[in-house]
Amino acid sequence: MSHAFFRSIFRVLPLLLVLSPVNSSSCTMGNKTTEIRVKYENILSHDIEELVNISAEYRDRCCKNKRHEHNKVFFCNDTQEIESLQSMACNMLKFFNKQKINKEFRRKAALVSCGTLQVLQCKCGRHKKEKVCMQVNAPNNEDTETVEQLKKKCNQEFCELKENISSLRSCWNKFEKIISR
Amino acid sequence: MAVPGASLVPILLLGLGIRLAAAHSPAGVECILFNEEYMTCTWGSGQTLTANYSLYYWYENRSPVAECKQYLWERGVRTGCRFEQSEIIQFQPFHVRVNASQDGRILEIPSNRMELQNLVKPEAPVNLTIRNMSSNQLQLTWSSPYPKAHCLEHVVKYKSNKDTSWMEVKGDIFSFPSVDYEKFYTFYVRSKINNYCGSTQLWSEWSVPVFWGSNTTSKGMAEEQLQWFWIHTVLIPIASCLLLLVLVVLLVRMERVWVIIMPRIPNPNKNFDDLFITHNGDFQEWVGVPKDVVESFKPNYSESICHVSELPYEPLQDSIHPPGVPGPQEHGPYKNSYVGA
Repeated sequence: MSHAFFRSIFRVLPLLLVLSPVNSSSCTMGNKTTEIRVKYENILSHDIEELVNISAEYRDRCCKNKRHEHNKVFFCNDTQEIESLQSMACNMLKFFNKQKINKEFRRKAALVSCGTLQVLQCKCGRHKKEKVCMQVNAPNNEDTETVEQLKKKCNQEFCELKENISSLRSCWNKFEKIISR
Repeated sequence: MAVPGASLVPILLLGLGIRLAAAHSPAGVECILFNEEYMTCTWGSGQTLTANYSLYYWYENRSPVAECKQYLWERGVRTGCRFEQSEIIQFQPFHVRVNASQDGRILEIPSNRMELQNLVKPEAPVNLTIRNMSSNQLQLTWSSPYPKAHCLEHVVKYKSNKDTSWMEVKGDIFSFPSVDYEKFYTFYVRSKINNYCGSTQLWSEWSVPVFWGSNTTSKGMAEEQLQWFWIHTVLIPIASCLLLLVLVVLLVRMERVWVIIMPRIPNPNKNFDDLFITHNGDFQEWVGVPKDVVESFKPNYSESICHVSELPYEPLQDSIHPPGVPGPQEHGPYKNSYVGA
C-alpha cells in the first residue's frame, strides 16, 4: 500500500509543476507606487518619449496592412498593468538581436525595456531575456545610419516593434493615471 | 441588348458616389473627451452636410459594434454623436464608422484607430488665487475640475497694464518674483494632460482671469485715461488752432515775410519817371541818342512841288483824223490828272 501511496504522490507533484502558471508575476515592486511614479516621471518617461519620437519618424505605410491586433502581448489588462508592462518589456527585448532593424533603434528600445523591468523590479521568466540588459548599456561605437536611410527600411519585425513601443507607452500612461489618484 | 444597360450601372453608381462625396462630405471624424466626463464625435456642420448620417463604434477585442445612442443635430442634420461616461473606455483602441445615406445609397466613411486617453480636453482651471508673499513676491494658485491633478500640466499667461504682449510660463504653481505696485496685472491659466498620462495636444480653455493691483491704481488708471481723453480731444486741437491763428497774424503783419509768400506784381512805372518828368516825353533825349544821329535823319535838301495833271478828253470831227487812228485825246474815256513830285 505504501508504494501505491508514493506513486500517487509522484504523479501529482509533476502535475502540479506542469499546471502551475508559467506567467506568474515576478515583479517585486508591487505596492511601492510612489517610488515607481518618481522613477517613471523623472527618468523612464523621457526615454520612452524619445523612443516614440524616433519610432514616429519611420515610414508607417508598410505597417498599416498587418496589425497585430490579436497579439495578447499588446494588451494592457485592467488591474494587471504591472504584469502587462512586464510582458511588453520582455517581449521587446527579443528585438535586440534582430539584424534587420537598425542597431541604435534596437538599443534604445532595449534600454526602455530594461528600464521598465528595473523600475518594476521584474524578471522575464525562464528565458532570462534580461541578460540582454547587460549588453545594452555598453556604448555603441559603430557608425549609425542616416535618418533617410532608416526611413527606407521597413519589415514586419520593425512594425511589430513599433506597435510594442506604442503599447508600452500607453500602458505606462494607464498605470500612471491609476497610481496618480 | 442588356450590355449597354449593364455598363451604365457602374457609371451611375460612380456618379452617385462622387455626388455623395462631393456633396459636402465630412472631412473626418473628430472626437474629444471633455474632462473625461463625456465625449463628442463630430463630422461636420449643418451648413455643409445634407445626407443622413449614422455612427457605429466599437472597441478592439472588447465590444461588438454599436450604434450611437445620442446624436447631435444641427439644422435637421446629424452632425455628431455624444457618448456618456459609461460608454467611454480609455486605453482601448477605439473605432468609429460613419455611414452617409442619400437617395437609398450608402457611403461609408471610416475613421482612424483612436486612443481616447490621447483625446482628453480638461476643463479650465478655477479658483485662481493670488497671495502676497514676502518682499514683493506674488504667488498664484488654482484648482482644476479634472480629477487627476498629477496628470495635468499648466501654463500661466500674464500681463501688466504697461506691457504690450503676454508672457507665458509653465508650472504647477506660479511665483512672480518682483511685482511693481504701480502696475495692474492680469493672470490666466490653462491645463493639458501631461506626457506621463497621455499624449495629447488639447489644451483646456483659458480660465476666468484674476487681477492684481491696488484699488487706487485701477481708479487712477481710469482718471488718467479720462485726462488723456480731454488732452487728446480738446486741449490739443484748441492749442493747435490758436497757434495757427497767431502764425497767420504774424505773417500778415510782417511785410518782409508776406512779400516772400505773396510777391508783388512788378510795376515798371518808376522806371519811366525820368522820361515824363525830366525830359517831357522826349524819348530820344531820354534814351540818349547823339545829336548828330538825330541830325542825320533830318533831310538837307528841298524840292518844289510839281503838279502834273491831264487835260480833259474832247472827241474831234472825222475829217481831221482818219478812222482807227486815235488822236492824242482818244486814249480813253478816263480823265487822269496826277501830281508829280
